[in-house]
Amino acid sequence: MSVLTTSETLRLTWDDPGTGEELAWNGPLPVRIGRATDNEIVLNAAAVSRLHARLERDGAGVVLIDNGSSNGTFVGGRRIDREPLTDGATITLGPFTLTLDLDAAPPTVFAASGRSPAPTGTLTLRWTDPVGGAAREARIERELTIGRGGDCAITLATNRASRRHATIAPDGAGAVLTDLDSANGTFVNEHRVTRRALGAGDVVTIGDVRLTVEQVGLGAPVARPGADSATQIIEAGALPPPLVAPPPPPAPPNEHRTVILDLPDAGPSARPQRSFPPAIFEAPSVPVSALAATGLPVDETLFLAVGGGLGSFVWVDHLVTHGADPRAITAIGLEEKPYGRYKRLCAQSQIPLHERLRSNSDSCPDNIWGWPGYAVRESFTSLSRGQFGNAIKRTWQIFGEPTFAETYTPRAGDVFDSIDREAARIGWERIYRYGRVRAIRKTDDGRYVIAYSQSTPQNPSDHRLILARYVHVAVGYPGIKLLPDLQQYRETTGDFKTVVNAYEEHEHVYQGLIRGGGTVLVRGRGIVASRILQRLYEIRQQNPQIGVLHLMRTPLAKGHRYGRAERQVIDHWEYQPFNWPKATWTGEMRFQLERADDQERDRLLNDWGGTTTAYRADWVQIVDAGQREGWYQIRFGDVKAVGRDPSGKLVTTLVGKGLIKDETDLQADYIIDCTGLEAQVDAHPLLKDLVGHHGLGKNPKGRLRVTNDLEIVGMDNGPARMYAAGAMTLGGPMAAADSFLGLQYAALASVQALADLRAPGVRRLNFITSPIQWIKWATGARP
Amino acid sequence: MTPTLFGRWQTRTLLLLTFGPFLTLPFVLFFRLTPLLILGMVLCFGYCWDILYQVIQSGRWDRDWPPAYQLLAGIWEGAFVFLVSALLGRVFGVFAVPFPVFLIHYGLVWIVTFLMSQSLMRIVFPNWRYRGGQWLF
Ligand SMILES: Cc1cc2nc3c(=O)[nH]c(=O)nc-3n(C[C@H](O)[C@H](O)[C@H](O)COP(=O)(O)OP(=O)(O)OC[C@H]3O[C@@H](n4cnc5c(N)ncnc54)[C@H](O)[C@@H]3O)c2cc1C
Repeated sequence: MSVLTTSETLRLTWDDPGTGEELAWNGPLPVRIGRATDNEIVLNAAAVSRLHARLERDGAGVVLIDNGSSNGTFVGGRRIDREPLTDGATITLGPFTLTLDLDAAPPTVFAASGRSPAPTGTLTLRWTDPVGGAAREARIERELTIGRGGDCAITLATNRASRRHATIAPDGAGAVLTDLDSANGTFVNEHRVTRRALGAGDVVTIGDVRLTVEQVGLGAPVARPGADSATQIIEAGALPPPLVAPPPPPAPPNEHRTVILDLPDAGPSARPQRSFPPAIFEAPSVPVSALAATGLPVDETLFLAVGGGLGSFVWVDHLVTHGADPRAITAIGLEEKPYGRYKRLCAQSQIPLHERLRSNSDSCPDNIWGWPGYAVRESFTSLSRGQFGNAIKRTWQIFGEPTFAETYTPRAGDVFDSIDREAARIGWERIYRYGRVRAIRKTDDGRYVIAYSQSTPQNPSDHRLILARYVHVAVGYPGIKLLPDLQQYRETTGDFKTVVNAYEEHEHVYQGLIRGGGTVLVRGRGIVASRILQRLYEIRQQNPQIGVLHLMRTPLAKGHRYGRAERQVIDHWEYQPFNWPKATWTGEMRFQLERADDQERDRLLNDWGGTTTAYRADWVQIVDAGQREGWYQIRFGDVKAVGRDPSGKLVTTLVGKGLIKDETDLQADYIIDCTGLEAQVDAHPLLKDLVGHHGLGKNPKGRLRVTNDLEIVGMDNGPARMYAAGAMTLGGPMAAADSFLGLQYAALASVQALADLRAPGVRRLNFITSPIQWIKWATGARP
Repeated sequence: MTPTLFGRWQTRTLLLLTFGPFLTLPFVLFFRLTPLLILGMVLCFGYCWDILYQVIQSGRWDRDWPPAYQLLAGIWEGAFVFLVSALLGRVFGVFAVPFPVFLIHYGLVWIVTFLMSQSLMRIVFPNWRYRGGQWLF
């Protein structure tokens, strides 16, 4: 129904189901969507057919046609064969949900009807689609026809509804419902009505569908700042529709979206200086003989771990356990403790030491065998302290999880303590040195040369070089990523206090809420959102005047599916114990991924990944109680802009999806972005330089290309090898690249490859040496 | 750990062929070859059951196999083997052992192999847990 012209392009946006990253496509009709690479939009997942669906022009509008796909095409949760689309329509194919953005005129029917706008538009109808089971909502801002017919504003695909069953129209602050002589009647709160005024809390029943009437916003209706933009629809509709959609906003360069995670560097040299790394680093391969001429201190080592975080620690732990001489190993990083940055990210994202992580019992960064896992250790500790209840509970958890018991996860503090013990055992303090690595190059003698800075305020330009034969890169996430609209808000206003990312320090938000109450808008629905919600729940015990608006892009009725299995969804949150199905760590799915090529891996990751949180009874309970008590409410929509109103409140303007392209304002005192961390190679200066200089490719997920041994493809240099681990290797052989277990797997694979290359001292563990090393671990002896 | 079919077979074979005979020895002293035959049946039927478990497992999102399932499987396998041996005892009059003896023998073997699969296998074979239990290849 939206008017298109030949020159007009449309825009589709969706999230990468594997990484949650936002993706978009712009172009003219017709558009073919499918798994095959010759489609305009390629969606790589098993549940997507080769040519799955087409978008075509249909008169003045756009129509979506399913191409006989095996798993179907859905619009707004309803399976379709051929469906005219309106702006904001959500199209679901397999694990992908695409939002259509015509950015053209609103439906011409509105313009033709010429109705005057509803001044407030504060009531919303919510219902569950009888076919797809999707949660739906519509704002009552103009007269809405409800019925079975496709031309109704609200189409209910149930035989018990008449084609045109009833209308709902705004009426003052409320709404009025009129039955259109329907065959089976219209009911309000179980009473049959022909015409009735509606208010918040009423339940309208049509056939077997229950539509609830709700007030938008927490408390009073939200007034828009400045112009009354509830008129937006009509005003635009009265004008000739804009013909050409404006070009999509250019994606902001990563640097701008990125807040670097590390503590600020000590000296002015935090910014790269021209003279360092030295000019010889421009050469394709650095002649070792030229290093002395740089005047920089040059050091040598055999094994070098770049990063000094958890990935580096786990690799070094594997190396020494496999026989490498600790004196031949160096780790360079920015944090005193291997878990320094991790602990900070945990604390900031509301995982204090006593809280439990999202990690399996036998994912142990301190123990290469994964036995005894944290659950067994916790049970023993509890037993020895006489806490029999806890001992039994933890044992039962690992025995029955996830079917008969909630999945066991270790306490953050216990994990850090265990790493401290292992660090002491392997002599980490003699292996680690402080430094920011700036560049890595191949040398002409079959090694690598690494340029790093040890700058301090006293010595702002302490630059050094170190040569190594075997290098491991685990630099973690480059930075924090904000949603584009929030990033834009922060850039234009300079306000970093009320709009925050869950991973940055934001304790002031909770303190402010405890003092003065207020509303928090939460974005994202992963595990971090759960943790933030838990904290908000906790501080509500101190100040009940705290409300939470949870903004989600789309309702979620059904979980991801793969094969016969489907993930659980409760209240639009999707659950799974860990980030990836367990079989990707150790079982069939790991082998499957290992065997796959890049494209296939991308597809599998899309099928298995996505944003999920862990099932924890207390979290489910908080969401449930919050909704019942009204202090936690979920809203759906795409954000158009974030700004401030004259009273100083944050205003998030949502654009409605589907037929009713209205705008809603959500007012809040704070916004917490729980959507994520930056994980693109290009956002990390060191990796960007590495990939750029050596012409290394990137995998379809935009990360480093690695072999099954986690070797960086294209970085081998004669006998020298370079390996990687962590988030930067997603798209490689291990789905859970960024997890304790993934780091352990990466370390084992690369250290075994080093053993096969006969790296000095390194030998594969066998059924005799492995138990001997384990006994050393258990007794705290040096490896 | 989420086992693969080969992993199940390999782990079953290794544990039953090492700890199995060792734990069966005392029973052989009193009941001659019957306990060894029972052990053999646990192994051979087990290969078939493993296929079934793998199918059940593949319908789960995580494709995991909680230890609790392992216990249920163990009870089922034990009951099956006991019935078969009792039947054979009826027919040939040689194979059966009294139920309490069976229970102790089978239970002991099961507990030990279960505990070893949860611990020792990981310590002896560092790759075992990543390879779905495939310690050999
Ligand atoms: C909040 C949070 C919770 C998590 N919870 C779990 C969990 O429960 N279970 C689980 O298995 N996984 C979890 N993970 C995932 C993963 O285990 C951690 O992210 C882990 O820290 C990854 O290790 P890493 O070595 O890749 O990165 P990090 O531990 O972050 O280490 C990278 C290090 O590199 C340093 N560095 C960066 N650039 C340079 C440079 N140029 N020169 C020198 N040093 C540099 C950084 O300072 C940092 O110390 C979690 C992640 C986060 C963010």
